[in-house]
Amino acid sequence: MTDGNELRLERTLDAPCELVWKAWSRPEHIKRWWAPRPYETPECEIELRPGGKFHTRMTGPDGFDFSGTACVLEVEPGERIVWSTTMKGGYWPNEFPADGCNGFPFTAIHTFEDAGAGKTRYTATVLHANAKDRDAHAAMGFDDGWATCAEQMAEVAQSLAADA
Amino acid sequence: MLNDSSQLDRAFQALSDPVRRGMLSRLSRGPASVSELAEPFSISLPAVLQHLKALEESGLARSEKKGRVRTVRLEPRTLSAAESWIAEQRTQWEARLDRFENYVQTLKRNGEEND
Repeated sequence: MTDGNELRLERTLDAPCELVWKAWSRPEHIKRWWAPRPYETPECEIELRPGGKFHTRMTGPDGFDFSGTACVLEVEPGERIVWSTTMKGGYWPNEFPADGCNGFPFTAIHTFEDAGAGKTRYTATVLHANAKDRDAHAAMGFDDGWATCAEQMAEVAQSLAADA
Repeated sequence: MLNDSSQLDRAFQALSDPVRRGMLSRLSRGPASVSELAEPFSISLPAVLQHLKALEESGLARSEKKGRVRTVRLEPRTLSAAESWIAEQRTQWEARLDRFENYVQTLKRNGEEND
């Protein structure tokens, strides 16, 4: 076991790699799924090269307004993208003040693999650091735990149902 | 720490269903009777009880019967702070992947893969 926490999520998507990649790599598409409703993603920039910036801004009707800039580390079009919030564009380090207002460091590794029959196996691996980051997260006001996450999940379930 | 936590596995399992997530969401606002929990969903009472059983087994909720009313409440201490933090990260990513998957399907239906 390492010092941190690794999350690994896997989905088989009923769409070809090329389309899945497009949805993950173009700002106009990322804006459509990045934030949970009723939040929106009015800004998204992604530079598909090592050292490129990956910037998103999320806003909400409750006044929520969060901007984050990560650094793209690896890009293999149609196969893999790796980025980390530890840095911004040009490999400049991000600051993480104790008030938690700049989020917390993590690295996200997304891989896409042809699963045959026009399907794609999508794996997201998210690497988190240690307890200090949990504290930062708590400082952001998210530490009422299950209530918050259950609310969010319900939100997604409702939006999925509304789209069905 | 997390690797041998079968409780966490059960919690994730319980959270994998939209009805159970909706029930937890309701419970996060306070205790509810079984019929109140069932209200938003067009599913049978036995199905609701089945979901409730899964939530109780995962340790996310507990219920207690008084007279004819069974009251369900959230059991917020199932997970340690560290586990609930990482569990929350997972649910947020699961939710993001749900949205991504849904959006990819929309793109596919719209035939934009040919542009």
